[in-house]
Amino acid sequence: MNQPDVDVVVVGGGPAGSCAAIVAARAGLSVVLLERGPFPGSKNMYGGVVYPRILDELIPNWWEEAPIQRWVTRRSTMMLTDTQALTVDFRSEAWGKPPYNGATAFRPDWDHWLAGYAEAAGAQVLTDTTVVGLIRDAKGAVAGVRTDRPDGDLTARVVIACDGVNSFLAKEAGLYEHTDAKHFTLGVKETLSLPKEVIDERFAVRDRHGVDIEILGGTGKVNGGGFLYTGLDTLSVGVVLKLPKLAAQQQRPEQLVAGLKAHPAIAPLVQGAELKEYSAHLIPEAGLTMMPKMTTSGMLVAGDAAALCLAAGIWLEGVNFAMASGMYAGEAAVEAVQAGDVSENGLRGYQRRLSDTFVLKDHRKLRRAPELVLSDRVQHLYPGMIANVAERVFHVDNPHPKPGVRRILAQERKKAGVRRRDLLRDGWTGFRSFG
Amino acid sequence: MSDGTISFQERMATAEFRVHHDAHIVVDGKVCADCSTRECVVACPASLFVPTSDGGIVFNYEQCFECGTCYIVCNREGAISWHYPEGGHGVVFRRT
Amino acid sequence: MTIVACLKWVSHPGEPHDERFSGMSPADQSALEFALRQAEQTGTGVTAITVGPSGADKVLRDALACGATRAIRIEAPTTAAGTDVATAIADHIAEAQWVWCGDYSLDRGAGSVPAFIAAHLLAEQALGVIAAELHDGSVHATRRLDGGRRELLEVHAPAVVSVEGATARLRRAGLHSLRTAAGATIEVIAATTPIHQAEFMVRAYRPRARELPAPAGEGPLDRLRVLTDATTSSAARGEKTTLEPAEAAERIIRALRDWGYLTP
Repeated sequence: MNQPDVDVVVVGGGPAGSCAAIVAARAGLSVVLLERGPFPGSKNMYGGVVYPRILDELIPNWWEEAPIQRWVTRRSTMMLTDTQALTVDFRSEAWGKPPYNGATAFRPDWDHWLAGYAEAAGAQVLTDTTVVGLIRDAKGAVAGVRTDRPDGDLTARVVIACDGVNSFLAKEAGLYEHTDAKHFTLGVKETLSLPKEVIDERFAVRDRHGVDIEILGGTGKVNGGGFLYTGLDTLSVGVVLKLPKLAAQQQRPEQLVAGLKAHPAIAPLVQGAELKEYSAHLIPEAGLTMMPKMTTSGMLVAGDAAALCLAAGIWLEGVNFAMASGMYAGEAAVEAVQAGDVSENGLRGYQRRLSDTFVLKDHRKLRRAPELVLSDRVQHLYPGMIANVAERVFHVDNPHPKPGVRRILAQERKKAGVRRRDLLRDGWTGFRSFG
Repeated sequence: MSDGTISFQERMATAEFRVHHDAHIVVDGKVCADCSTRECVVACPASLFVPTSDGGIVFNYEQCFECGTCYIVCNREGAISWHYPEGGHGVVFRRT
Repeated sequence: MTIVACLKWVSHPGEPHDERFSGMSPADQSALEFALRQAEQTGTGVTAITVGPSGADKVLRDALACGATRAIRIEAPTTAAGTDVATAIADHIAEAQWVWCGDYSLDRGAGSVPAFIAAHLLAEQALGVIAAELHDGSVHATRRLDGGRRELLEVHAPAVVSVEGATARLRRAGLHSLRTAAGATIEVIAATTPIHQAEFMVRAYRPRARELPAPAGEGPLDRLRVLTDATTSSAARGEKTTLEPAEAAERIIRALRDWGYLTP
């Protein structure tokens, strides 16, 4: 066999791709990282919060130079009906100090910064280059990629596909059985500008501290959820919408964002803010249910391309899963190249690493969570029921005496039309997932 | 189409699009002609698909977020062919 | 025969301080494409040259990836004055036969650099060209004139041609030449003449004040009319004459002097 152009070609300069390239290049392999945008991160969009703990392994003290907007020191989970809001709010000063926990950041900044480490490690980062297909050897193993440039074939021992949620490479390699609209949600968001002082005041934070609000309900009849994050002098507000429902309910995504912004609990927070950027992206929501085969001879899949996005109600994470899976793909590629065996068997270290770490452990534990969170009961019945219970508990209705909470619960359950059996079953699923 | 404060055109003008001369979305009008559900019209966040009075669909590709929603929600095999635009072209995000 | 493409590293008008959005302007891309086509026709190479800080290497690497054979960067700050930029370039390309430039730079372009280069090289010039055809030994260039008219020029080497954006679409760099260009040598040299900061005009241009005799007239309105020229027809203010170029220039300068726009 002819000598390939490089040891490893990484497709996609997002968090997964950059981490894969960092690991492989640091181990001395020749690495090319291909990015279709004009710079890494230019095509990338997410809710707005990243949990970079996994970076401790690759970039010690990453927080000293990571391009973040604010450190998340307040996490709220909000449940909305049309007129009510029930919020669980937590804040911790510890999250505002090294080693930190989560941060709000813009992906064009974050991904560009991370790709800089890949370049520093010796990987060649080539932008403005779209990969259009795979090159296979005589035995059918993946042997490189085809780009849309003239003279655009690049052969490699291992291809690491970090080409995002649409992963045409994983599909071409036959790693996905099929694509089903019900496995995806559409994330739509508005980045709004507000002066820093106004944000500090409205969200009760100071300095570089910020807020992460996850919202259940607030998307009308379309199953989904919402979010609101604070940047330094911006807010990210948006919705996540279950695709088949969105189409069926005949409601446009930007109208649903407008609806959330008009909710009495949200409107005062975003009032007067000016739209800076409108954006949208697909989310591989279904977790374990939709995951492809991760490895084939000569190729590994990581990040969104491998559906490694955790969408489990109170936890909405993706960048950390992307960075970890990219890192493990890089390690497995190094192992395989050094051992001279890049077959599926030679690359098996990748699947093992995913299985042994949070990447697949979290997904296994929470495998029923995405479906539960997006189910009609959790979306349309429970928020109203719970909010009504809260309203009655805190409503002072003198001269009537205070009713017992258990009685209110029973009455509100009946009023909402929730069957006891369903409630117990969902409670049990939730307990097994989150407990 | 407006959310009450700004027009949809103004909304789309907040993102940068480096438009390539070749379309990266191709719609087969014959397949769309007898589609009654029209998922793409509702779901595309950039509102690139617009129904016409004669029952067809016109589409733009210029202000595409490249999210993939259209071809994934589409129920009709072969109606929407979709690939990424040539390297360096298409949407460029700044504050996402 | 030496073919030169003069390229400038410019920022995106919307993101002036962000290097991620910087690169070659559309006009410079067209200039590079013409240079590459001409080199192909004549079997020679293209020298890409820029004046700027190390960040400007980016446009030179892009040029090398597209097929330029040599890359030179003259060290200077991005704020260098156009006249000095032209002098520095001209000093290094004295033997150039064809010099291709973009018509204006995106950041603060006055379009003066190509003209200054031509002056230094004593070369023919075709500036602000909207179409160019490459012929054996000459270039046929089209320039835009007032009233929708066009000027057709035939220029011969040595010549400087500056082109508008979109006159030619720059070819796409091949994947492997892109990889090679990333590690290619860029000749970095110091300018042989001093480079000054460009001086920016921070106020609107206003002609120098001049003394006027008190207007004659019966009432204030009459005097105002005299002062503002409001009732004089425009034909009466000018003169129509046919002159040879040298005489015409002389006449214009005299008029400007008479009107107080030029100091004697």
